[in-house]
Amino acid sequence: MRKFTCLTAIALLLTALFLVPTGAVAADKIVIGVTTSLNFLEGKEANNAVKMAVEEINAKGGVKVGGKMLPFAVESIDIRDAAPGVPVPEALLGMEKLILEKKPHALVVGPFRSEALLAGMDMLSKHKVPLLGTIAMSPKTEAKVAKDPKYKYVFRVSLDAKYFVGYIAGVMGFLGKEFGFNKVFIMNQDVAWARATAGIMTKILKGKLKWEVVGHETFPTGASDFAPALMKAKMKGAQVIMPVFDMPQSGILVKQWKGMRIPAVMAGFISPLTGPGAWKTFDGKIGGVLNAVFELGSIPSAKYPPSKTFYDAYLAKYGKPLEAGHGPAPAYASVYLLKDAIEKANSLDPDAIVDALRATDVQSVMGRIKFTKGNQVIYGKDPNKQALGCFFQWTDDGKRLIVYPSAIAEGKIKLPAGMKSAK
Amino acid sequence: MLEGTLIYGFINSVILMLVALGFSVTFGISGVANFAYGALYVMTGFLSWLGLNALGLPYWIAAPAAVVITAAVAALIYWFILLRVRGLVVSEVIATFGVGLAILELFRYLGFIGFEYTLPPIIDASVMIGDTYVDAQRLCIVATGILLAAFLWFFTHYTKTGLAFRGIAQDERTALTLGINGDKVAALSVAFGAGYGALAALVILPLGTIAVNEGYNVLVNALAVCIVGGLGSTVGIIVASFLIGFAQILTATYLETSWMMLVSLVAILAILVIKPSGLFGHQKQLEERI
Repeated sequence: MRKFTCLTAIALLLTALFLVPTGAVAADKIVIGVTTSLNFLEGKEANNAVKMAVEEINAKGGVKVGGKMLPFAVESIDIRDAAPGVPVPEALLGMEKLILEKKPHALVVGPFRSEALLAGMDMLSKHKVPLLGTIAMSPKTEAKVAKDPKYKYVFRVSLDAKYFVGYIAGVMGFLGKEFGFNKVFIMNQDVAWARATAGIMTKILKGKLKWEVVGHETFPTGASDFAPALMKAKMKGAQVIMPVFDMPQSGILVKQWKGMRIPAVMAGFISPLTGPGAWKTFDGKIGGVLNAVFELGSIPSAKYPPSKTFYDAYLAKYGKPLEAGHGPAPAYASVYLLKDAIEKANSLDPDAIVDALRATDVQSVMGRIKFTKGNQVIYGKDPNKQALGCFFQWTDDGKRLIVYPSAIAEGKIKLPAGMKSAK
Repeated sequence: MLEGTLIYGFINSVILMLVALGFSVTFGISGVANFAYGALYVMTGFLSWLGLNALGLPYWIAAPAAVVITAAVAALIYWFILLRVRGLVVSEVIATFGVGLAILELFRYLGFIGFEYTLPPIIDASVMIGDTYVDAQRLCIVATGILLAAFLWFFTHYTKTGLAFRGIAQDERTALTLGINGDKVAALSVAFGAGYGALAALVILPLGTIAVNEGYNVLVNALAVCIVGGLGSTVGIIVASFLIGFAQILTATYLETSWMMLVSLVAILAILVIKPSGLFGHQKQLEERI
């Protein structure tokens, strides 16, 4: 009899445990996990932007869910996946550690490298943790999400390589039309997103744009001497050099380009050249360079006030302007997207949050946000219709002038000093 | 194109020579393969940067101070760590490699990652050689390389300490009978090698940024040059630097830039198969084994 009573009690306890809905609001706070390379500029500033958004939301009472107002709490971990060699296993260990120990309701920012994100998608699906990624850019993640519903927890709020290519193609088209250029030399870092960008861009340049790709060089993460490749670009008569790099050393490419007086326009993405501090760091030797900013807000535009409000608020809070051109604005927007989704779902259940996120349609600091079937934010050319990335040009007096797309352009592209039009 | 390749090949060779000289000097004298060499190279860069930017010191104070501190740290590493394991080759390698790792990863942990960590060039200009533009800093590297190689020869032939270095390198026991303190000279040689590496860092780092991972690259390049040239042979270092330096630039120019790193590794493998003691090495034990 005693044995029977004991077994019944255990069975009732287990039943009670299973009957508690996973999305029930039993928590006293909503935990947001930030799992990225916190020592790298993009990761560091994205983490700051998340904390800023959380403070703003908490100051207004928090997130309304299940009839209660819950505050956000941020738990960050440095997974070091941006290091040379892309240590994916270490990154996954870090992610899982945070998921198991801190029990986050969602992750934002996410892995720095696409290699780590792709490898971590199964883990996110296993633990049912929604991720709003803002740095890793390989389009392969969207393809996986669109193909297999188990990956529905992975969202990307930042630009991906495909949309980035759209912006570069726009700038190349302008350079061709305005100055008669049609020879390009591509230089990219040997990481997934940069390889994907260079690969797609090569097809577009050769096909649709009818450009000649006179050379294509890939550099391992950490490379800092670009002189041989620059010589090659000069020898092959390149009129445009298209760099695709996110490593700290890549800024030196432009100094070497200036020093060697390579007669070609530099147009692409070099992470260290994005922020206002680059002018001083590179001794003012970056005038004329065309560089991308992946998400509006990381550069302010007077033509889209929310981007300027965010940029100025970051400067006021941290006392330093944003230097990263990729990560912070979508990281900030992600926290608000998550708040909206939780309030709409009125639950902390991950599946309900995912469904609400998929139905997102809001204006943010980087333009209008809507997701594709692959959970990728749609980027375009008008911030009132889609999210927006842009290209700016460093002027010879050290200013960043937005030149593309036309909806927010502050001026026209000019050739660097000493270069002539081919027309 | 050929002109540019030759110019940049020459400069690249001098860079390799500068990077390898310090490593080779230490090994040639004390027999210690200082695997913390790359870390000490990077440390010089960060110390100079800190002196210039955090302390606001002028370059002529910050840079020499960084060299002196690096050499002093190397001497302390010898005195407090290597002295206890001296002669036990595997232990020496593990100890120096461990110290190097600790230094590099400490910088990473402290957040020394970013493009702002750069050193100013000694001369900020471009020079036209034939039809090729070369930044003046690269010419400073060539001048420094020639000066340091010449000084090393002068130092080891015409100074008392330099002669003691050579004495220990030739036969430590005989040198002891002549009153040369082996441990003291070995500690000096580790400091001297690190000092050479520090000077190389001051002229080479302005070409790029100061990055933690540069420590590993410098070590690989120094090892490649020393293995190909022959550990401890200064002539071998110079010859190997030019062989590898030109091979790297030719590979980058006519094949793929990403294959440049392979050149060093292929050179190491090839020389280990053909002549394990290196082109100018005198390690008879190795010769006799093949």
